[in-house]
Amino acid sequence: MTHQHINKVTSSRENILAAAQANKPAETPLPTVPDFGGDASVERFTQVLAGIGGRAVWVQRPQPLEPVLAQLFPEARRIASPLLAGAVDINAQTPTALLAEIDLAVLEGEIGVAENGAIWLPEANMLHRALPTVTQHLVLVLDHRCIVATMHQAYARLPGTGGYGAFVAGPSKTADIEQSLVIGAHGARSLVVLLY
Amino acid sequence: MRVALFIPCYVDQFYPQVGIASLQLLQKLGVTAHFPAQQTCCGQPLANSGCERDALPIYRHFVATFQCYDYIVAPSGSCVYHVRKHFDKLEQTPEVQKVRAATYDLIDFITQVLGVTELPGAFPHKVGLHLSCHGQRGLHQANESELTPVRDGQLRRLLSSLDGIELTELDRNDECCGFGGTFCVSEEAISARMGQDRVQDHLRNGTTVLTGGDMSCLMHLQGIVRRRQLPMQVLHAVEILNGEMVK
Amino acid sequence: MTHALRASTFVADAERTSWHDETLWFVRQKRDKAVYAVPEFQELRELASQIKEHTLSRLDEYLMQFEAKAQRNGVQVHWAANAQEHNDIVLDIIRRHGATRVVKSKSMLTEECHLNPHLTGHGIEVIDTDLGERIIQLREEAPSHLVLPAIHLKKEDVSDTFHLHLGTEKGNHDPQQLTEAARQHLRAKFLAAEVAISGVNFAVAETGGVVICTNEGNADLGVNLARVHIACMGLEKLVPRLTDLGVFTRLLARSATGQPVTTYTSHYTKPAAGKELHLVIVDNGRTQQLGRPDFRASLKCIRCGACMNTCPVYRRSGGHSYDFTVPGPIGAILSPNIDLKKHSSLPFASTLCGSCTDVCPVKIDIHTQLYKWRQVLAEAGEIPAAKKWSLQFMGRLLASPTAFGIGGRVARTGLRLLPYRLTHSKTFNAWAVARELPEPPKQSFREWYRETGKV
Repeated sequence: MTHQHINKVTSSRENILAAAQANKPAETPLPTVPDFGGDASVERFTQVLAGIGGRAVWVQRPQPLEPVLAQLFPEARRIASPLLAGAVDINAQTPTALLAEIDLAVLEGEIGVAENGAIWLPEANMLHRALPTVTQHLVLVLDHRCIVATMHQAYARLPGTGGYGAFVAGPSKTADIEQSLVIGAHGARSLVVLLY
Repeated sequence: MRVALFIPCYVDQFYPQVGIASLQLLQKLGVTAHFPAQQTCCGQPLANSGCERDALPIYRHFVATFQCYDYIVAPSGSCVYHVRKHFDKLEQTPEVQKVRAATYDLIDFITQVLGVTELPGAFPHKVGLHLSCHGQRGLHQANESELTPVRDGQLRRLLSSLDGIELTELDRNDECCGFGGTFCVSEEAISARMGQDRVQDHLRNGTTVLTGGDMSCLMHLQGIVRRRQLPMQVLHAVEILNGEMVK
Repeated sequence: MTHALRASTFVADAERTSWHDETLWFVRQKRDKAVYAVPEFQELRELASQIKEHTLSRLDEYLMQFEAKAQRNGVQVHWAANAQEHNDIVLDIIRRHGATRVVKSKSMLTEECHLNPHLTGHGIEVIDTDLGERIIQLREEAPSHLVLPAIHLKKEDVSDTFHLHLGTEKGNHDPQQLTEAARQHLRAKFLAAEVAISGVNFAVAETGGVVICTNEGNADLGVNLARVHIACMGLEKLVPRLTDLGVFTRLLARSATGQPVTTYTSHYTKPAAGKELHLVIVDNGRTQQLGRPDFRASLKCIRCGACMNTCPVYRRSGGHSYDFTVPGPIGAILSPNIDLKKHSSLPFASTLCGSCTDVCPVKIDIHTQLYKWRQVLAEAGEIPAAKKWSLQFMGRLLASPTAFGIGGRVARTGLRLLPYRLTHSKTFNAWAVARELPEPPKQSFREWYRETGKV
């Protein structure tokens, strides 16, 4: 970057902040957001999840997940998961070419949201940031006691957002062609939630 | 109680029967309304076109005309909405404030001020109620589909109280008809299409008498009904409530 | 060219107009269903509005807090006063990495800044990865909607485009198969991209992080595979606290498409190990809008598109009739701030029905602002002179009871006496193109009242 460029950009910062200060209205209060309560039941969660194209399956923990997965995804060859022995080894440094071959990722979700079927998936549980979207199919494992009613309660529970984290609600989808819903746009083609 | 009748300019010229029905209906409800002859318009056509400043003399004339009345009643939610909302451009003298607060849509006046919730009479027809936006969303005369699925409102209730009446259930209960003041000519193509779609909704669902609280929307819809020679009569709601018979 | 003129071309295709109207009305109905199901929805709108208003009232402070936090997180923050600076900054970052392959997820800001032509002009391949955006990119068109960029196209149009560019089977209109073709095509682009550009839905001052919402997962896939992530945001995207997102994530997708939430609500706070995260904070007229008391509330917009779906004019005139990056009611109040003359017809592309205001999840008084922009435009002489004169004439007429009485009688009598083909001439009378004029009565109400006197 040239010096001139740096000066211009630096002065833009000052100009923008000065304009924001000069033009802002009189201060108005920041409201307190109440906890609206709501239905935090597993039934509600699974019902909404089904409505957004996901699917919930009950499992027994700590019994192994392999048999359930074999039944759900008989064709999956390359599986990435911190929860399974013998899974493909994926970490933050894994090259793109290897990530692109993953058929199935099985990851641990931390909070389920009953009102919208979303599950909080922090970076620490992802193996690689791209894994939840680059995989063809995604399975999230969730303790049913970690289901809350609304996004308010979900955010209240988050210790922080870490470096990266996402609420994942169902499989990747699009309706960009004539508003016809198509499941499996660019991210995972399906989402199964293993509840225990 | 001194009550003045404000008759919007186009109603005065083209729909005198709406003014007459307003006067007669109020009379039946025990209110003798006076029509101050010096009245003209609320100024909305200019203001909505961006010429609010040129409308100020009209606003002042409106206030001067009506300031000595307890209530100013008009068979048009749109004009009332304009007086209430946009006369804020005038200096807020006690007279201006009084006139703004005292100006009522006829239906609101009947239901809220007079406390009348049902009317005698029969109207054994399938009636389609067009909700005019300024009355509905501006004056909150009827529930809005943006906020609630419950279809309810003052005029709907009053009409329902007539014997034998059946109200049309529309596919789109409160979509704008496309009149929009000068919009109806400046965006003629869209305005006409919106009106055609509204009329089509009524036709599809069996309306034989199309009504509403605002003659401006109805004038536009009637223009389409007549052009297409559709089997539908257009009446202002006050005509129905006053016992007008279908031709 | 005015909105009315472009709209009349769109609406001339009656069948397509019906389709466009009904498709968007369907989205509006999905929105209604989702909204009715949340008892506190109206409270959430009020909270969202207040949070945004508060943020704007301390905008400079929150911007500085956000910047400081982001920098502490290892994020590189850039400031752009206008579109040109924004484009220069983005190009500069790409060049420093010697990159030529760029993927970009949905960002109305980069559309507003015309980033794509700038990058391609400098030899960078930039691929829009949102399906709708990719479709229109291949067709070299602008988006016609905030969240449904290709809503003006039918599946046959997409099929033709994909046949031409992606080699799909001619005449195959199946959305499922067309989407699959795009998935395969774009996957290769994702895997090869060196830099990923994204928009920003929300920026959180207290964490220094940004939130990106998509259904397709295209933002996450692009960003998390590339070495460099450039997130571009208008400075109005800020919210103060992480918990404020509870309010906004509950409102956004429900208002936009009727979904309970977008599929991916992704929080980017720190760059991944060994990678870079850049944030470009853009003004481009926003602080100017902040200084306009009547119009600053437009900065609360979260770009959900609900006002478009509900607007009876938008649904029948199409997004391109607005000829502005953001079409529809919200575009009609944002655009005059950018170029008053060019967009002078947009605030008039409305009946002021108010539905936009009632669906807006952050309670922007859209229709009131449309009304106010009309006043600004007339004062600035940006309405047609003939219209202005006739309105001034009308003003004098309406302020005088005598003139009003005479004028009304003349008009009514003229209408009764003149031949039909003259009063209903489509050349002189726009009203009469599709509508009959009212049948003029013999007597006006005031004449009747004067004569009859009593009820």
